[in-house]
Amino acid sequence: MDPIGGNEVRSMNGAKDVEFGVEAYQFGEELHSLMSGPPVTGNSFTALLDLPANQAMELLHSQAVDDSPSELRLKGHCVSHQSPYNHTLNWAPAFPSNTALIERSSKYSIFAAADATVDRVGGGGGGQGSPDSSSMPSNSRANVMKVKSEPADSGSNPNSLPHASGPTINEKQMNRKESGKKGKGSSKRGKTTANDNSEEVEKLPYVHVRARRGQATDSHSLAERARREKINVRLKLLQELVPGCNKISGMALVLDEIINHVQFLQRQVEFLSMRLAAVNSPMEFNVDSLFSAGNGSVTDSIFPSVMPLTWPEVQMNSDRQQWQFDYDKSANSALFHSSQRKMEL
Amino acid sequence: MNPHPSSCSNGRSIRTRFARRFLRALKKIGSKGSSSRPSPRDISWRCRRVKIAADASMASAVGPRRVWSRTMLNMLRSRSHACLHASRLGNSRRPGADRHAVGKRKRLVLKRKLPNRLGLNQVNQLRRLVPGGEAMDLDILLDETAHYIKCLATQVKVMRSIVDYCSA
Repeated sequence: MDPIGGNEVRSMNGAKDVEFGVEAYQFGEELHSLMSGPPVTGNSFTALLDLPANQAMELLHSQAVDDSPSELRLKGHCVSHQSPYNHTLNWAPAFPSNTALIERSSKYSIFAAADATVDRVGGGGGGQGSPDSSSMPSNSRANVMKVKSEPADSGSNPNSLPHASGPTINEKQMNRKESGKKGKGSSKRGKTTANDNSEEVEKLPYVHVRARRGQATDSHSLAERARREKINVRLKLLQELVPGCNKISGMALVLDEIINHVQFLQRQVEFLSMRLAAVNSPMEFNVDSLFSAGNGSVTDSIFPSVMPLTWPEVQMNSDRQQWQFDYDKSANSALFHSSQRKMEL
Repeated sequence: MNPHPSSCSNGRSIRTRFARRFLRALKKIGSKGSSSRPSPRDISWRCRRVKIAADASMASAVGPRRVWSRTMLNMLRSRSHACLHASRLGNSRRPGADRHAVGKRKRLVLKRKLPNRLGLNQVNQLRRLVPGGEAMDLDILLDETAHYIKCLATQVKVMRSIVDYCSA
C-alpha cells in the first residue's frame, strides 16, 4: 500500500508537488547521511531514526495534522523498510490530501515574504516607541484603506476581500511589487469610504501601501507616508474634540486652536479650585447624597442636612481682581460675574 | 450610575471615579483648617491643596494606562516626597516653582524665530502643556492630547457642579 502511495506522489505533476517532493527528498538525504555513519542494528536503527523522524514530522506536520497515528505508522515503516528513499515516500500517505498542504504552504510562503515588507514598512510606521493598542487599530485602518482599493482597480477579482484566499493575496502582492508607479488614481485616500467598509473587511496584519503616480516607492518614503497618515487621522479626531476647529485648515492653525483650548481648560481648573478653596471653609460634604443623583446633576440633589454656608471673607475680592485680566473667554466671565454678585450679597 | 471596571474608558465612569476621590480629598482639606476666619495664608495654602487634590484625583481616576496620568502621578509623588524631606530638614520653602520663575526672569535670551514649517513651534508648545509630552512621538502625543482634553473637560464639569452645589 505504501509504495503505491509513493507512486501517486511521484506521478502528480505540478509546481507545488515538486516543492513538496523536494522537501521529502531533502529529509531523505538527511536520513541517509545519518544512517550511513554509525553501525545499523535493528534497535539502534529505530532509536537513531526516532529523533530525526520526530523532528522531521514536526517540521512537516506544522499544519497540525494528527500526529500520533502517523508517527506510529512511520515507526512501523522504519523497521520494515531499510532504504531512506522508501521511508520518505512512506511519509506521503501520513499527510492529508496534498492539495490542502500545498495551499497552506503557499500561504505560509506569502506571509514569509510579506513579513519582510511588514518589517520595513509597518515596522517603520507603527513601531515607534510603544506598540500600544491604539497604534494597531489605526495601522489596520491604514491596511484596510489600501486593501480596499485593490478590488476597485483590479476588476478581475470578483471575490470580496474577506473571502480572498492565499493565492489571490499573493497575486496582488506580486502586482504591487512589479508596478510600483502604476497606481494613478487608484489609491483611495478617501478615508470616509474606507471607514464605512472597515467593518466588512478583515484586518490584515501587514500594511499595503499603494504609491501614487510620481511618488517614490522605497521603504523609507512608504513608512513616512504611513506615519503621516496616522498623524492626520489623529489630528482629525482632535479637531472633532475641540469646538470650532472643524472649519480651520492647516496644521499650524489647528494646533494653535488645540493649544488654546488646553490652556483654557487648565486655567478653568485652577480658577474653580480657587473658588472651592474659598467657599470650602466650613463645608461638610455628604458624599452619598451627591452620588444618589449620579452626579450628572449635582445641584438637584441638595439635601437639607447640609449645613448652611457662612460666606467667605471680603479679602478674596482682591485676589479675584488679579485673575480678572487672565480670562478672556466668555464662559469664564459669566462665572466671574455671578461670583461677584454673590460676593456683594 | 454604575462605575464600570477600568477597562472601559467611558467618560461617565471616569467622571464618577474622579468625583468620588475629589470629594474625599476636599473633605480632608475642609476638616483640617480652622473653622473661623482663615487668614489669607491659609486660603492660599488651601487653594494649592485643592489644586493638587484635583490633579491627583484626576490622574488616579484615569489610572496608569495613559502616559500623561503616569507622569502626573510621578510628579506629584516626587513633589510630596521633596516637600516632606524639606520640611523635615527645616526648610519651609516649596521647591520647584519659585526657583524656576526667578531663573527665567534673569535670563532673557533672544531667539530667532525659524520659519514654522509643519507647525513645529506649536508641537513643542503642546509638548510642554501635556504632562509627559516631552518624550513622546507625534502620533502618541496627539492621542494623549485628545484623552487629556476629554479628562480636563470632565474635571471642569464636575468641579463646576460641586461649586454650584456648595454655593447655591
